[in-house]
Amino acid sequence: MNRSLPRRSQEPVAWSLFGAGGMLLAFLGPALVAITLLVLPALPAGDGASVHAAILAALRHPLGGLLAFFALALTFFHTVHRLCHGLHDLHVPLSARLVGWLGYGTATLLSLLAAVWLLGL
Amino acid sequence: MRKPLLPRQDALWWWRHPAYRRYMLREATALPLFLYALCLLYGVRELGRGETAFNAWLAFMGSPLIIVLQALALLAVLWHAWTWFQLVPKILVIPTRNGSVPGQWLRLAHLLPAVLCWVLLPLLAWWALGHVVGGAA
Amino acid sequence: MSGSLTVRVQRYRPEEDDAPWWQSFEVPWSEDTSVLDALNHIKDVEDGSLSYRWSCRMAICGSCGLMVNDEPRLGCKTFLRHYADADEIVLRPLENLAVERDLVSDIDPMLAHIETVQPWLQREQADPQGTGEYLQTPGQMARYESFSHCINCGLCYAACPQFGRNPDFLGPAALTLAQRYNLDSRDEGRDSRMPFLNGEDGVWSCTFVGYCSDVCPKDVDPAAAINQGKVASNVNYAVNLFRLLRGGDDA
Repeated sequence: MNRSLPRRSQEPVAWSLFGAGGMLLAFLGPALVAITLLVLPALPAGDGASVHAAILAALRHPLGGLLAFFALALTFFHTVHRLCHGLHDLHVPLSARLVGWLGYGTATLLSLLAAVWLLGL
Repeated sequence: MRKPLLPRQDALWWWRHPAYRRYMLREATALPLFLYALCLLYGVRELGRGETAFNAWLAFMGSPLIIVLQALALLAVLWHAWTWFQLVPKILVIPTRNGSVPGQWLRLAHLLPAVLCWVLLPLLAWWALGHVVGGAA
Repeated sequence: MSGSLTVRVQRYRPEEDDAPWWQSFEVPWSEDTSVLDALNHIKDVEDGSLSYRWSCRMAICGSCGLMVNDEPRLGCKTFLRHYADADEIVLRPLENLAVERDLVSDIDPMLAHIETVQPWLQREQADPQGTGEYLQTPGQMARYESFSHCINCGLCYAACPQFGRNPDFLGPAALTLAQRYNLDSRDEGRDSRMPFLNGEDGVWSCTFVGYCSDVCPKDVDPAAAINQGKVASNVNYAVNLFRLLRGGDDA
């Protein structure tokens, strides 16, 4: 049978990031939101300096910074992947290529900002 | 004679059946989580700009609109995690001698540690940060 | 248990109609009356022109798939007693496929996709005649067994919104069959199937809606097969990348 073979899709790259981000969000996401929504506001008021210093120290530490980077970057790639596919599902009349470039481009940019700002702490 | 009726999917296909609506809900969890991640990114920047900037970010996170966003993000991430762990056994096939590891075990093997994280990590943060605040006061 | 139920059927005769129309019938039912029985009753007693496919009436031939109240179901495996409390049930041909006549769909797209993935055992070299069967342990068979239960009924194609969106998507049955053969220890044909799985219209059009597995009458779980195929395609992508980086060809 002489049939031309379809071109290999680049989707595996996006899907791997989506999968890693999804796993990370499933384990750490609820804890993270609980911390910003419930824990931070509930801390005794009056000593902002030490809270700031403590979180700064945590994120300056190589492990803390690395975790924060992956938490942010993988979350951006995971959510963007779902949003791009969602636009396609909703019949939004934009080409898949354009949506892909816009979406993953945004995620890359946001991840770069995260890296720059974390390194600058 | 042949004159087939051609199929056409209309834009509201996902609204028309509970299975599709559940799928869309799962996918929609990405939106509040994306916005929440933007808030966290903003926080990282403000963290690096000093105590005043960071306190302003804390106030921003405490504003009514962002509280609503965070509440939505919490619901969204919990629904994401629940649906995610339902799907894990379908992809994670660990062959055993006479088949593969049962799906329920795989699900629990993910869900139990996850729930531990969800509960223990905020408690840890509460303890650590409260300790820091109490110690300096 | 027994009663009478209104059965509303979508009609379409290409030689006479420009658009489909509805026709209602009163159908008597008892404990074991299936939708297929209802259709046979209608054809025998009410309107002999009604067209539909059926054969085994025991959920193994895959012929009688249709939409029952907007759900893809086999007519022979769906019973009127479950709709006893309703005013009527609505029958129309399978979603996402062209309609030839009445409840008869054009399943050629599905059959073409199934053929594309080369759903047969492939060997580099066939063992010589007389050397016996290719042996396989129960454990090896268990790896792919549920994926081999597909009866090609097409309910999964009616369920899949990604196929509805893009008919070039290979779809649940084809991708499941590909995975079934790739997992079969006797098969050596994975390399010839991977290009079809790796394409945009292969596994990567699936977004794990999962409705295909919900409607499958043989519990094949095509959603699981396709998404395991994504893992395989992912590994294949990485292996190919290493090969490219070492100066090899793009496989």
